[in-house]
This record gives sequence, C-alpha cells and structure tokens, in this order.
Amino acid sequence: MLALQILIDGFAISSLYALGATGFTLIFGVSGVLNLSHGAIMVVAAVIAWWVAEAFNTGPYLGAMAGVLASLACAFVTYRVIVRPIQDSRAIPREEKEIFVLTSTLLWGIMLQEAIAYLFTSNPKTVRPLIEGVVPILGVRTPLNEVLTAALSWAAIGLLYLLVNRTRTGKSLLAASMNPRGLTLLGFELSRIYVLVWAIYGVLAGIAGVLLGAFLGVSSDNAGLLTASAFSIVVLGGLGSVSGSLIAAYVVGYLETMTAYLVSPSIRTVPVLLLLVAVVYVRPQGLLGRR
Amino acid sequence: MMQRYRTALIVLPVLVILALLPLGVGGYILGLLTLGYYYAVFSMSWDLLFGFAGEVNFGPSFLIGVGAYAAALLNHYWEWPIPLCLAVGAVAAVLAGVALAVPALRLTGPYFGLVTLVAVLLLQNVLVLFAGVTGGEIGLDLPDVLSIDANTNYYYALVFMVISGGILFGLSRSPVGLILQASGQDAIEASALGFNVAKHKLTAFCISAFFSGLSGAMLVFYLGTASVGTVVDIAVGVNVIIAAVLGGRRTIIGAAVGAVFLIGAGEILRPLGQLSTFVVAAVALVVILFFPGGFMGRLLHAEGRE
Amino acid sequence: MLGVFGLALAVPAAQAADPIKIGVIAETAAISGVGIPNAAKMAAEEINAKGGINGRMIEIVDYDDHNSAVDAVRAFQRAAQQDKVVAVIASYISEVVLALEPWAGRLKMPMITPGAASNDITKRVHDDYARMKYVFHGYLASTQIADIVCKSAKELLAHDLHMKTSVVMSEDAAWTIPLDEEYLKCLPAAGLKVLDHVRLSPDTTDFTPIFNKIEGEKPDVMITGISHVGVQPTVQWQQEQVPIPMFGVSSQATNSTFWKDTNGATEGVIFNMVSAPDVAVTPKTIPFATKYHQKYGNLPGYAAYTSYDDVYMWADAIRRAGSTDPDKIVAAMEKTDYVGTIGRITFLPKEDTFAHGMRIGPGYITGLMVQWQNGQPVTVWPEKVATGKMKFPSFIKLPQ
Repeated sequence: MLALQILIDGFAISSLYALGATGFTLIFGVSGVLNLSHGAIMVVAAVIAWWVAEAFNTGPYLGAMAGVLASLACAFVTYRVIVRPIQDSRAIPREEKEIFVLTSTLLWGIMLQEAIAYLFTSNPKTVRPLIEGVVPILGVRTPLNEVLTAALSWAAIGLLYLLVNRTRTGKSLLAASMNPRGLTLLGFELSRIYVLVWAIYGVLAGIAGVLLGAFLGVSSDNAGLLTASAFSIVVLGGLGSVSGSLIAAYVVGYLETMTAYLVSPSIRTVPVLLLLVAVVYVRPQGLLGRR
Repeated sequence: MMQRYRTALIVLPVLVILALLPLGVGGYILGLLTLGYYYAVFSMSWDLLFGFAGEVNFGPSFLIGVGAYAAALLNHYWEWPIPLCLAVGAVAAVLAGVALAVPALRLTGPYFGLVTLVAVLLLQNVLVLFAGVTGGEIGLDLPDVLSIDANTNYYYALVFMVISGGILFGLSRSPVGLILQASGQDAIEASALGFNVAKHKLTAFCISAFFSGLSGAMLVFYLGTASVGTVVDIAVGVNVIIAAVLGGRRTIIGAAVGAVFLIGAGEILRPLGQLSTFVVAAVALVVILFFPGGFMGRLLHAEGRE
Repeated sequence: MLGVFGLALAVPAAQAADPIKIGVIAETAAISGVGIPNAAKMAAEEINAKGGINGRMIEIVDYDDHNSAVDAVRAFQRAAQQDKVVAVIASYISEVVLALEPWAGRLKMPMITPGAASNDITKRVHDDYARMKYVFHGYLASTQIADIVCKSAKELLAHDLHMKTSVVMSEDAAWTIPLDEEYLKCLPAAGLKVLDHVRLSPDTTDFTPIFNKIEGEKPDVMITGISHVGVQPTVQWQQEQVPIPMFGVSSQATNSTFWKDTNGATEGVIFNMVSAPDVAVTPKTIPFATKYHQKYGNLPGYAAYTSYDDVYMWADAIRRAGSTDPDKIVAAMEKTDYVGTIGRITFLPKEDTFAHGMRIGPGYITGLMVQWQNGQPVTVWPEKVATGKMKFPSFIKLPQ
C-alpha cells in the first residue's frame, strides 16, 4: 500500500517538475541561456490565472489561458529586452556574457516577484482546479486534479516532442542546439529560431505555473525556490538534454516523495541536494548530458 | 603606474570624506553605511573570485554564513571574546571554502555555480535541522556586540573595509592577480605558460573565503544576532553579486561602491514601501544593460578595455 | 548630499506640542503583517480625535522590514536614533522580534510585539530583567497557545465528538518547539492520545505524503501548529479529501482573505485566535473589526487586534507616566490593566517565567477557537461567546 502510494503521489509531482524543467533546458540547449527568472515567470502565470478567474468570474479555463498568455508575454520581454541586447552588445566581452545574462535575468525575476507581491500580496494563491473530486487508483484515493496535472504535463511534453521531431521548424530548432553556425550557413536566421524557442518556453512555463498553482498553490516567495529546483533538475539530467531533464525530474520527484514518506518530511529536499553534489562531482555532464 | 595613480586620486579624497562623515551626519545614516561597508567587503571578495579567477560563485553566503555562525556559536555558548570569535570565524570560512573548492574547482561555468548554490541550501538545511543548537531560522542572539555607539561602529566598519579593500585591490594588481586574470580568461593558455592555474584559483578562493567569513562575523557582532535570513539566505548572496556587477566587475573598488549604493538606494526608496525592492532591481538592471562596465568600469579601466 | 539631508532632519528642536511618535515595524507584503501598521494608525487617529496624550498628538512612523531581521534592526535603530520614537510595536515573526530584543535593551527603547509567539521573548526578560525590561509580549507564548488549544480540544473534541486519538502536525520552526512540547503533554491529559508527532519543513509544497502517512495511522483529529505554511496544506487536504479534521494553530487561516486564497478549501478548519470579528470578546472587539473592515476592505488578521490594543496601551502608559522617559514608560506599562479588543490585558511580573507576557485565564485572555463555515469565520469555543456549532465538510469521518 505504501509503495503504491509513493508510486502514485510521486508520479504527479514528478510530471510537473518535468514540465517545468523542459522549457528551461530547451532554452539552454538552443541559445545557451540560463534563465534565472524562470521561477518568477511560473509564479506570474499561476497568480494571473488565479486573479482572472476570481476577479472576473471567468471560470478556470479562461483564467488558465490568461495565465499562460501572461507567461508568454513575460518570456518575450525576457528575450527581447534583456537577453537579446546582451547577446548583441559589443561592450560586453564574449566570455562575460554568461554572467551578464545570469545577473540580468535574476534581477528581472526579482522585479516580477516584487510586482506580484505588491499587486497581489505574498500570500499563497491556489488556482481553482479544472476538475474536482477524487478517484481510487488501485485503492489509493487520488484527487482527479492530480491525475489531470500529470496528464496535461505529459500532453504538453508530447506535443513538444512532435513539434521538434516532426516539423521543419522543429527540426531547425534541434539543429540550432547542435550546431548554430552550421544552421546560419544553411540560410536560417538564428534570431527567428530564438524567438520561437522563447515562445515555446513561455507556453511551457505558463502551463507548468498554472498547473502548479492548481495542484499545490503558489506564492511570490516561491519564485527563487522554483528556479533553483528547475536548475538542479536540468543539471542533474545534463544541461540542454531534454530527455535527461525528464528522467532527472522523476529522480528528484520520487526521491523527495520517498524521503517524506519513509524518513521525515522535514528533510524532504536534503537527499536531492546531496545526490546533486555527488552527480556533479562524479559526472559533471549530468545523467544524459553531452560534453 | 598611471592607472594606480589615477585610482589613488579618486579613492583617497573619498576616504577622507568618509572618515569625516560622523562629524556632520546623523546616527542613522552612519548605521546604514556601516552595514553597507560590511556588504562592500562581501562584494569585493566575490569580485576577486569572479573578476580575476573567472569563477562564478553563486554561494557567497555559504562562506559568509560559515564565518558568521562559527563566530556566533562561540560567543553564544562559551562567551569567547569577540576578537577570538572573529579569528575563528575567518578560519572556519577558509576551511569550509577549501572543502568546497578543492573538488568544485575541477568544474566550470554553470556546474561550479550550481555546486556553490547547493552548498548554501545545504548549510541552510543543516542550520534549521539542528535548530536546538543553532536556533534554527530564529537565529542566535549574541551577548556581546562591537559597540552600541553609532560612531564607533562606523569606524570599525570603515577601517575594516579599507584594510580588506586595500589588500584585495593590491592582490588584484599584483603578479598573482595578473596570473589569475589570465587563467580566468584562458585557463589552457595560462597553464601552457607554466602557471599552476588550480593552485592560484584555490588561493583566490581562500582569500575570498577569509574576507567573506571575517566580514560575516563582524556583521553579526554589529547586529547582535545571527540568523539564516541575515547571513545565509540566497537573497544575501544575490545582493552581493548584483552589487559587484553593478559597481563594475574586475575593479574591486567598484564592488564596494555597488554594495553601498544598493544598501543606500533601498533606504532612500523607503517611502515607496514594498515597491522599493522592485525599483532597486529595475535600476540595477538598467545599469547592467546600458552601462555594462558598471559605475567604476570606465573610471578605473583607463586603457579602455570596455 | 545625504549627509546634509540627514543633518537637516535632525535639527528641529523639541517643543511641547510636538507629536509623540510610536514606531511600527512590520512586513507589509503579507496580510497579517500589513494589519499591524493599519490598526496602529486607526488607534492613533482615534486617540488624536479625543485630544491625544495630554494635548500631544500621536504619530505612527511605520517601517517595512520585508520580514528580514537586518532590515528590522536598521529600522529599529533609525526609529530610536533619528526619528526619536518613544516606543515601538514590532513584527509578528519570532526571528525578527528576537533580533530586536537585545537592541531594545541596548537603546533603552520600550517595545511590544503584537504577534510573535516564541517563549524566548519573555524568557529573556525573566532571565535578564535589568537589561531586557523594555520588552513586552503582546501576544501569547507558544506554550500558552498550546494550553488553550488543549483546553478547547478537551471540551469540543474529546467530550462533544468522542474523539480519543490525535496526531500532532507542526512546521519545523523555533516557535513550534515549545508548542509541540506542550501539545505532547496536555493532549493526553485532555483525553486525546497522541499517536504520532509529525514535523514538516516550512518550505514544503507537496503535503500529500504527510497526509497519507497521518491517515494511515487512523487518528480522530490532526492537531496543527502551522504559520509559514497554511494555504497549501489546507487546499491539498480538501482536494485529497483527507477524512480527518484539522484543529489547532493555523496562523494564515486567521486572515479574512483565507477563504478566497484557498478557493473555499478551508471549510471546516478550526483554528485558534485571540479575537474574532463576530464575537464580543469585549465591547471593543466588534466595533474595531467593523471599522477596520470599512476602512481597509478586509477583516483584521490576528496581529491587527493586538496592534490596535498596543497603541492604546502605550498611550495609556505614557499618560500615566507623565513622561516619555523609557524607564518611566516601562514602569507604567507594567501596571497596565486595560480592556482591549482581545480581553483584559495585564502583564505578568518579572518573577514569572513569562515575565512581561500577558496573563491568560478566565477574566483575562481566554482565546477562541474559530471555524471557517461557508466563507465566514464562526466562533465555536468557548461556549459562552460561541456564535455557532462545529460543522464539517462531507468527506470528514467523525468517530461514531
């Protein structure tokens, strides 16, 4: 019974982690950017979804769409106003672009987080779930919303897979992550691909944020922790490797759930941190990373 | 030589003004600057590691926290005298720094960054798990403080900042600093020239740890309390990094200016209440995007590297 | 530039008609936090409308500490050294209050906290009275809160609902250490055997494992000690339809926005409070809650009631002391016997373990147990002032 419970509970939270980390790793893979405003963008999506649904009585679906749109807008601003100018800047030496992107996205994340705290307070918000009620799965009473969270996460990841592997634009994305220079030689405009990948990122982060808000609830104070968790999962899986991130998300999700069940909920995150340090020392490229 | 002269020409008059400030300024502004000076040392230490060794340390508050808590625990439980606590705090930070750096320096870029970030999270977890000893998130109160007099505290912090800054700046302009800079930009070439890059980077890490830890310890004896929120939290480290980049990396002095600016701006914007953090972040972002050299970049890099 | 500015601020000389300044330090981004300055300003306006303190107006100077001890210490120093306040009302977070406490001693600045619960606040006053006497505890200490919860649990749960077993669920924080210690002692005495004692990390977001584990142990009730977390466990409790009621301390549940923040998931949650908007704990309670609601659009959180009372008590102490000298204010404050919004407030003497803490018990502060029902907080205990009976959502299974 306990094993079953761990299996089912771990699955939902891991799927959500996977979805959250996918966009993050995609951006890194294609454009080499670690976006430290990631957590804040997820929070924006969740809080806007909550606010639209509550204040305008639109029901959960319109609210969720508003949340995803907000996230898309934030992602676009992140790229257009912050990341792109730094990449194009001549004043910043090439080897320092990384730290500039990190610092600026961090600052941008703080701005988003503070704006949310100012407009909506830092109290946690919960998005009204799309469906209510519980269903027994193999004897474990599981909220329908938890099932839906896992299903939607996988649907989004599946669509991304189809997009990348089955469409021309998607394939150019994949190519960009492997050899950007080769792609420009073939006549592709890199900046177009970057806009596309940021748009995909915005949608993914938005869905992840809204689902998180409905499943667990979100406060502006969570922004930093969400970024750190996506960062850890992505490094664990291998920077830039989407499949690695998916596996890592499950490792992290189940390790946390097992710790909470079997050891103590007060040290839930500690084993993950130790594992992360161990992996980075032994195999810095991560589980499935390329060097 | 020219550059050094130029730097002195800028820095010395400022220092004289700072030293005379207590004659004309209220206790509160002195208190603010006192805090700013301790943060200045955090940022300068970070700049030595990043600007000159090319390593992005996401966890300055790991070193700060270890130094601060080592000193605080000794004072809280055994009432050791302050100077001894400070010394032990600095040494503890160096030891913790070595333990972190020896394996971590094999890593580069984001991996090094992540390990240093995880170090902070682990330290935070340990402090909360052993709340019985460390006071958990509530923290430890200290029986002793440096002084309750604003002027005295101000001079302690100012002298400490000037000495630390002097040493760090001197180091960065010494042959060791140049080797560090070379290895930060191109480690392979530097080692091909016969320099032991790893050894130099480790040295830089130790020095950075020493001043971070010492300043962390000084800070808790100024505040009279050590808690996760004041010396360990990731937000503390974030401020340190922002200050250094804002002031102009690779300048050491710029880091100090950035730190004092951040603390001061937060206070000047106090009437905005909650929005103040938003505005500070926005200002810092604008500076970074439009003046990537930071406040001091242009001023100190006469040869026009930017 | 800054220097000149500071100098200019410090110059004006004191005059008899100068306002008496009271500093308020709190986090304004949180609903519980912003209630502290809001309620304090309300109290000050009322006192001023009636002529102030011997003709001198009260001015509230408020500082946002962003929930950080460093910011709070800076604000405290500014309040004392530059803004020259005569007393401070500070924070509902134990970490912040404990960081400020030594400074109250060092700068001889009378201070009261409207919401922090750590036992150490009063313990320090008891252990080092000469230095720490400037600090008053305007809220209940953890141990006192646990006693109130146990007392109500004995009547409501053990007697009325025939419950026999419980699991204690608290967040891993310093304020819950004495709370849990007392829970483990007083719950069995109240007739509720403690089957397990679960402590969870305050940054937990997924509570599923915790609820499942507790459910597996089949207790009749969960006794809570949560403050940093609140919305999330409540929502997940309802979504997963955990059949065990939650009863105890849940600080976030005291906010009037809690119903909205949880989308109504809080239906049936029973929590401890010192005052509720619908209960005439004293004749002052309901008028205060109504006026606060009119003015700020929300019902007051727990620290707003106490903060409102604190301003009146400082004003009263300053009036009786006839001076703004800190030692005289403290001496007058110690003799406080004031009926506020939360009950009759008197402070325990320096010999007591809870020195400068509030006296609890019948005729003083009794505390309330309040339950969320259909979007409204309904007081269910003590019987004398109760405005309704306990009701639980349909997924809760009560013992037969």
